[in-house]
Amino acid sequence: MRMWVYIARRVLLLVPVLLGVMTITFILISAIPTQQRLVSAFGSPKYGTGEWIACPGGGPVLCKNPWWTHGIHTLGLDQPVPVQWAKYMYNTFTLNWGYTSSNSYLAQAGVPGGTPITQILSWYMPYTLELAALSLFLTLILSIPVGNRAAVYRNRPFDQGARLLSFSGFALPAFLLASVALLGFVILSGGFITICGGHATPLDLWYGLPPSLPGYACPPYSGSAPHWVGSFSETYPTHFITVDALINGQPLIALDSIRRLVLPALTIAYGSVAGLLRFVRNSMLEVMNLDYIRTARAKGVPEAVVISKHAGRNSLNVTVTVLGLTFAFFITGFPVTELIFNLRGIGLLFTWSILQPYDFGTIFGTTIVFSVIVVLANIIVDIIYAYLDPRVRLG
Amino acid sequence: MGSNAPLDEKSPTPVAGPRRHPQLDQLKRTWYFLRKNTLAMVGLSIILIFVVVALASFGYPAPGAKMTLYCGTYPTPANNCAQVCTYAPPSPAPPGTCYAVSALQKSLVPPTISFSPLSLGPLPLGSLAPDPSTGLFYNIADGLIKGAPWSLGISVSIVGSGALIGLLLGAIAGLKGGYFDEAVMRFTDIFLSIPGLLLVLVLLAVLSASLGNSLSFLGRIAILVGAFVVTWWPFYTRIVRGQVLVTREQSYVEAARASGASNSRLLLKHIIPNSMYPVFVQMSLDVGTVPLLLGVIIFLGFPIWPSSPFPEWGTISALSVQNIENLVLVCAGVQGATCYFPWWQILFPGLTVFLFAISVNFLSDGIRDALDPRLRR
Repeated sequence: MRMWVYIARRVLLLVPVLLGVMTITFILISAIPTQQRLVSAFGSPKYGTGEWIACPGGGPVLCKNPWWTHGIHTLGLDQPVPVQWAKYMYNTFTLNWGYTSSNSYLAQAGVPGGTPITQILSWYMPYTLELAALSLFLTLILSIPVGNRAAVYRNRPFDQGARLLSFSGFALPAFLLASVALLGFVILSGGFITICGGHATPLDLWYGLPPSLPGYACPPYSGSAPHWVGSFSETYPTHFITVDALINGQPLIALDSIRRLVLPALTIAYGSVAGLLRFVRNSMLEVMNLDYIRTARAKGVPEAVVISKHAGRNSLNVTVTVLGLTFAFFITGFPVTELIFNLRGIGLLFTWSILQPYDFGTIFGTTIVFSVIVVLANIIVDIIYAYLDPRVRLG
Repeated sequence: MGSNAPLDEKSPTPVAGPRRHPQLDQLKRTWYFLRKNTLAMVGLSIILIFVVVALASFGYPAPGAKMTLYCGTYPTPANNCAQVCTYAPPSPAPPGTCYAVSALQKSLVPPTISFSPLSLGPLPLGSLAPDPSTGLFYNIADGLIKGAPWSLGISVSIVGSGALIGLLLGAIAGLKGGYFDEAVMRFTDIFLSIPGLLLVLVLLAVLSASLGNSLSFLGRIAILVGAFVVTWWPFYTRIVRGQVLVTREQSYVEAARASGASNSRLLLKHIIPNSMYPVFVQMSLDVGTVPLLLGVIIFLGFPIWPSSPFPEWGTISALSVQNIENLVLVCAGVQGATCYFPWWQILFPGLTVFLFAISVNFLSDGIRDALDPRLRR
């Protein structure tokens, strides 16, 4: 099979999975009581949120609530379920995901109600992607070399230490690790030199933010929506802070933005190194026992070359396959980390939307986005694997 | 292969001597290799200690009435009284009680690290009483002890039910193959592509929106367990199915089938028992992560318990971390204040969760090594 055929097949297989994910979200949405959906979408009217209310003219007979009738009609809840499902799927695929609620915790936190959810996501998404890229990078550069070394020095102090350290990253609650890292900075600096410092950093100045307060994680935006809320402009064409800064020729601002991401990314990486390191170590152990390694040694190849070229390269193949699974685990760390470090990403958006009163549109919007990220990551991993190992695409 | 006694097929009567139990032998062999693994043994003993604590906790009287409130305020730069409590009092402080406490006053954070009466400092852990205003309080040590059966029970029931569903579905899918297999596996793919913790939270949000406050105490716990099971069964299904695909090609399964064993007999007697080990390894791993995940849910601010402070390890850690974060961050904003860091409030709950997670990790690693002949040497 040619490479592009393999890729096309893999991408086609994505369709049923995405349909399934959306069907699950549809089932969950349908499980929410109608009254709560209507309140979430349209707010509560003066005359009550029940289906039946006292008639304006009085009397013992109850009248149908016009708010209820109108809401049900607008949301399409008066149609048969298959039609609702089809409409939901159509709307989801055409990126028509509804609007944020104006009476939810999310709105109280400062995210403007009545904004299209896709637009909100596009504001919050870039920061999460920057964080994800940095933490994935840190995870890889920590786990692969250390895992290889651990296999080479099997059952020696280096191996035991590396395993203990990676285990501890796995066994410590993410919130504890992140909080302690944050508090550690605050306390060690006597409360004055925080990660951001008690003064306006270049990033603050560029975006016109109030200076970072001492004792808080950066950036302590006063409002909760990112300040670039609005449209994409010439100054902020991508919404990726680092990229925008570089486009505008501001390397210092880009560095400042990365500096803010380092501690959160390190805590995420520390939590996810454990799983990957274990796989790297085990696959390296298996490869080291194969015949061709013995042959390489026998013919006098230096040990360092045997480890790095012969064994390391081949053990990497197996490692790539678990990257997809690691990624799914890794992305669940985002809500907590973004909450603690006050980073405006979709993890924080998700955290706010699951607090009462719920914003169902955003809950399901973020869920779909997270699932799409996981699915895409899996596909990319598969393609890399097929590239590395021809047996996969030929077999 | 000394343990497999050759069958003497010519003799009409069974061979005299003790009856062989191949599965028992296998268990003994595993135990032998496991015993040589120090880390696994350490893990096993820690788990046993936790189990003993959980059992003993039913007879442990939690001295609820002894607790006093430790609460005070720091003056903030805006000259507002910001209340800094080491934990939330059962009811909001009456107006006018906001008084400035010198940031240097050490008693604000009570020095309660003394091992003699097992008091590790205050943490609000409400009783199981539905009315939080009755305000029974535990301290951290009491909470951790009282929380042992809850943490262990919830973890085991989540992982147990998830594994049971996965075991049955995966075994049937692997044995039957064909369309059923394909359907089940595509179904697991869908669930696996939604990040686990998010699915749990979304399920909890939807269920609590639709069932509301009408739930009983056990109903809430059942919903919590259910949300986790919905998230976790696909992992087990995938593992079991992969293992069954290997097992069903073994010659003893073929022999059983040739001698006329029914599908259900094949499944229950031969395939499931021989596909159990990887499931067991995964189960022991997952049990340790349940308190971590529960803590994360509480930390994000999602109420899962009937009364907000609840004796469960993850919850206790989350609440203590939140308390300390507020304490330190507010204090750090005050010019010239000396901030105290009540480290024991996160050390002991954190250590409990950590030890539990890491010991099941060690144990499951040990079991895997003991079962895999390639890693035994």
